[in-house]
Amino acid sequence: MIIDDLVIVPNWITEGKIHALANDLNEDPDILLALSGKISKDIQKIIRKRPLIFAQLIRELKNMPDNAVLRIVREVRDGNW
Amino acid sequence: MIELKHDSLKFSFSEVHPEAQLTIGFKRTLRIPDDGKDYPLPPGLGRFPMKHVDDFSERVPALWIQHGGVMLPMYQSEALWLSFNSEFLWDHDTSYPFAIKVATGKTNAVTGKVWSDGLQKDPQDYMVSSRQPWLDGYCIEKGVIRQFVAMPLGSGYSAEEQITGNAEHGGIQVIVYPMKRKIFHKRFPKRKYVKDIRYPLRYHVQEDREMTQPCFDMGLTPGGRMRQEIYEDPFGIENWEVERKSRCFIHLANSLVWRAITSDPPPTVPFTSKEYTDYGLPWFDYYSDNSTALKGSEKLNGLKSVVEMGKEKGDNPVPENESVEISNVKKLRNSLEPYQVREGTF
Repeated sequence: MIIDDLVIVPNWITEGKIHALANDLNEDPDILLALSGKISKDIQKIIRKRPLIFAQLIRELKNMPDNAVLRIVREVRDGNW
Repeated sequence: MIELKHDSLKFSFSEVHPEAQLTIGFKRTLRIPDDGKDYPLPPGLGRFPMKHVDDFSERVPALWIQHGGVMLPMYQSEALWLSFNSEFLWDHDTSYPFAIKVATGKTNAVTGKVWSDGLQKDPQDYMVSSRQPWLDGYCIEKGVIRQFVAMPLGSGYSAEEQITGNAEHGGIQVIVYPMKRKIFHKRFPKRKYVKDIRYPLRYHVQEDREMTQPCFDMGLTPGGRMRQEIYEDPFGIENWEVERKSRCFIHLANSLVWRAITSDPPPTVPFTSKEYTDYGLPWFDYYSDNSTALKGSEKLNGLKSVVEMGKEKGDNPVPENESVEISNVKKLRNSLEPYQVREGTF
């Protein structure tokens, strides 16, 4: 992985440019957006719909390990039967 | 989408309706005596622990990985029931309705027919929540089921083996269809008031005992007779969103190999019916005033129960099968209609 916490993405770069950059670098745009202090528009839209719930949710998740966070959204896989 | 949450399967259909969420629990219970008598509902003894099969791909059969889904541990001759719960929507005065089809070893638990996706009207091969709060076994007669009891797959006991002659699938299969959004809003428009509604609730009792017995894959077989109605669809088959289904294969691992697979201890063995009854603890009867029960499947009624099959084989698969006399029965009922008066105990 090229990007880590030491890399600073300037915050004057627009979201569109960051998406293009992420595409070129084969990186996750959400990570680059976070490094430039931005949140993608679609996530902002989700939060604006229910700001209190999401603020509470994110604070609750702050110290949870990744595997616990992933369990929240993990789907049960249907196979061939 | 299906998630495994708190040892239950949570079915969500947010693309149909944000409130279209159903939780199916797999509960432990007493094995009722298989003595030809009809018993009331036994209590719930807590949830079975459940795991994703994909998390243990190196320790479970390859077929389980092919099937996907989840797994839970059961002892030989242990009983199981399924609970169907969806949140009550006060502003609509109902829970979001779902059509639910359940099979064991790909044998439909309501009709006895071989599994197929989709819903069938005649004979009805599915149940409707929240009208149907739970399922304890195979629908053999109007108002009577035979309890789901685990036996080793391949021993010839399971409903699947009795019907198809093969021990091929085992486990439990579930498919869920939500009601169409437009129909939901038409049938259950938003209301301005709320009312006190009581839900049927089966007591949960802690157990503490131990036992033994070997094997790996379990299948479900018909056990003792229980009074339980499987209700007719009050809405009609055209009300269900058949293009938006979610289905899951629930594998049944023998409790004695559960630790080897997961490193977790299996639950302890539940009480026997006699022990439970001797303590004076309650059994239950549930009825829904406004519902019609299905007549039951002749095919399922023709299956041999665990004890009958054991006699034929010269086995004693359920050693603790003493009949019990039950006097403490609590009545549960579906919600009251606005014009109904609640009867108390006096």
